Amino acid sequence: MSAVRLWNFLCSLKLAIVLASAAVALLVVGSLYMPSRPSLFGAMDRMPLGQWYAQAWSQQPEAVWWVPAMGILIILLGINTLCCTLDWLFRLKSRWRKTGEYLLHLGFVLALAGYVWGSFDGFRNEGMRIAVGQTVAIPSFPGHYLMLEDVEIFRRTPRAIPDAASTMVLLRGDTQISRYQIRTNDPLIHGSLVVVPLSFSQAAAGIRAQISGVGAVDLLPGAVFALDGGATLTIHDFYPWAMRRPDGSVFPRGENPVRPALELELNNPDRLIWRGWYFPQDGLPPELAEAGVRLRPVDLVYRPIGLFTVNSDPGAPLALAGGIAMTAGVFICLFSFYSKRARGDRPEIT
Amino acid sequence: MTTTLIGVCFAAYIVSALLYIVHLKVRRPAWRRGAFILVVGAFALQTAILGWRWWAAGFLPVTNLFATQFFFSWALAATYLYFELRYRIGGVGLFVIFLNLLLLASVLPRDPALPPLIPALDTPLFTLHVSFSFFGYAFFAMAFSLGTLYLVQRRLSHPLLPTLPQLRKLNEESIFLGFVFFTLCMLAGMLWAYVAWGYWFSWNIKGVWSFLIWLFYAGMCHAKFVRQWQGTGYAVLSVAGFFLVLFTYLGIGLLMSSNHPLE
Repeated sequence: MSAVRLWNFLCSLKLAIVLASAAVALLVVGSLYMPSRPSLFGAMDRMPLGQWYAQAWSQQPEAVWWVPAMGILIILLGINTLCCTLDWLFRLKSRWRKTGEYLLHLGFVLALAGYVWGSFDGFRNEGMRIAVGQTVAIPSFPGHYLMLEDVEIFRRTPRAIPDAASTMVLLRGDTQISRYQIRTNDPLIHGSLVVVPLSFSQAAAGIRAQISGVGAVDLLPGAVFALDGGATLTIHDFYPWAMRRPDGSVFPRGENPVRPALELELNNPDRLIWRGWYFPQDGLPPELAEAGVRLRPVDLVYRPIGLFTVNSDPGAPLALAGGIAMTAGVFICLFSFYSKRARGDRPEIT
Repeated sequence: MTTTLIGVCFAAYIVSALLYIVHLKVRRPAWRRGAFILVVGAFALQTAILGWRWWAAGFLPVTNLFATQFFFSWALAATYLYFELRYRIGGVGLFVIFLNLLLLASVLPRDPALPPLIPALDTPLFTLHVSFSFFGYAFFAMAFSLGTLYLVQRRLSHPLLPTLPQLRKLNEESIFLGFVFFTLCMLAGMLWAYVAWGYWFSWNIKGVWSFLIWLFYAGMCHAKFVRQWQGTGYAVLSVAGFFLVLFTYLGIGLLMSSNHPLE
């Protein structure tokens, strides 16, 4: 096959129709597998396509065979569309009136390239739980952290369902690289990274207590209290539902405040007196009582907590460029269509 | 009140459909003018209802089955009027009026109460996405009507119906405009999905079938340049495409679990 014939074949309109028809038929067949396997296909949006496919193929190859076939057809359609676009560019002088149509073609190619890129690179983390004041590392994005500064509940209109505005800080190491108040439909976007709010609630974060000589205080992780006699009480950690192993170590069981516990440390100016877990339901540990600490738990302390989707899609900017090209193409096509009709290409029906 | 006014629209569309049918038999301009005036009147009333509900809710009310069917019905009427005013298609668009009547008949027994808007839908991208989608569907419905008529006319060669070249051109225009609106719907949906979910293409069954529809009609926009697909082939594709549209809107929305539920 000569180079010219090959090029003409790659640019062929009929090839586009054959590929699009085959892709439509395959999608119809493939989508028949989807309703009966919600857990398998429901995970498709929770991770990049390449990662999902590697898992899905190992679990149920008989249900996902069509996905790579579909990918090949769509990529071939993309190549065909790209060749058509290049062919148009080479003959732009004589075919400039088709600008709208070919912007649509270009937009499709860009969006497809963006999707392919994002399917094999990037990551998706759905349901990251971050409490106000907490800093968490972003999985799959080494050295980057998210800190939730504040959550404000509001209603857009008096009848509207409540929404949350979360002030989120993106950190690279200790350096703040972005700070944004994110809301539903208004995410934090930084390069390929997007942080989207999913829902919000509140979670037990510590214990409100009366300490003799100090008063009413919130025992939250990181807090330090100076006690009578120069001793200090440090709060290291809090589990809303803590369990103790036979060896005495403590581990978190869940987020519901079923059996809360605080990890405390009591120090004199010159030495450590005690460090361990305090379960209010079991009473004050004898070491603390003997050291003269009088602590009476009053209530749980709650703080707002947000659930977030944190995704990185390096192909998204390319897809956006494709979307812009397609939008421009659509409007130019419309203008061109009505111009042609105004020039007399109008069927008359009486 | 809303139900009563929708009932008035329903009655007007029924009478106009009857007048158009009479006009197909008895070619008197008065029948046709009467039918047209009734469609315009019903459409104006539907527009007023939609406008009032939009003003009362503070958002375009297209968030449940009642509201989407009413909006789809309004978009169908608008599409019909577009072709009627531009090409005076008359009874050629009867299928669209029948579909409109079916939608309104389904709307009438439902509760017209305006539901509160969930925050995820409180964005202009949602309004654009839904509006463009229903205008796309409406033009595809018109293409179905014209395609069916093309196939009928091919067998009957009836002098009261438009000629095959006229029907073909109208069908192509309908597919083109439907594709334009549906493309805009997909683009608004992509952008909205990205800001709402953090990804711009969803493998949810509705997303997959929407892409399928887009690909199908993109193929049709190309098929009109291939001689074998012009005319009859194109008419058959217009009919088949509308079944895909119906399944995507109603089949998936009502029968399957998707991120576009219709309750």
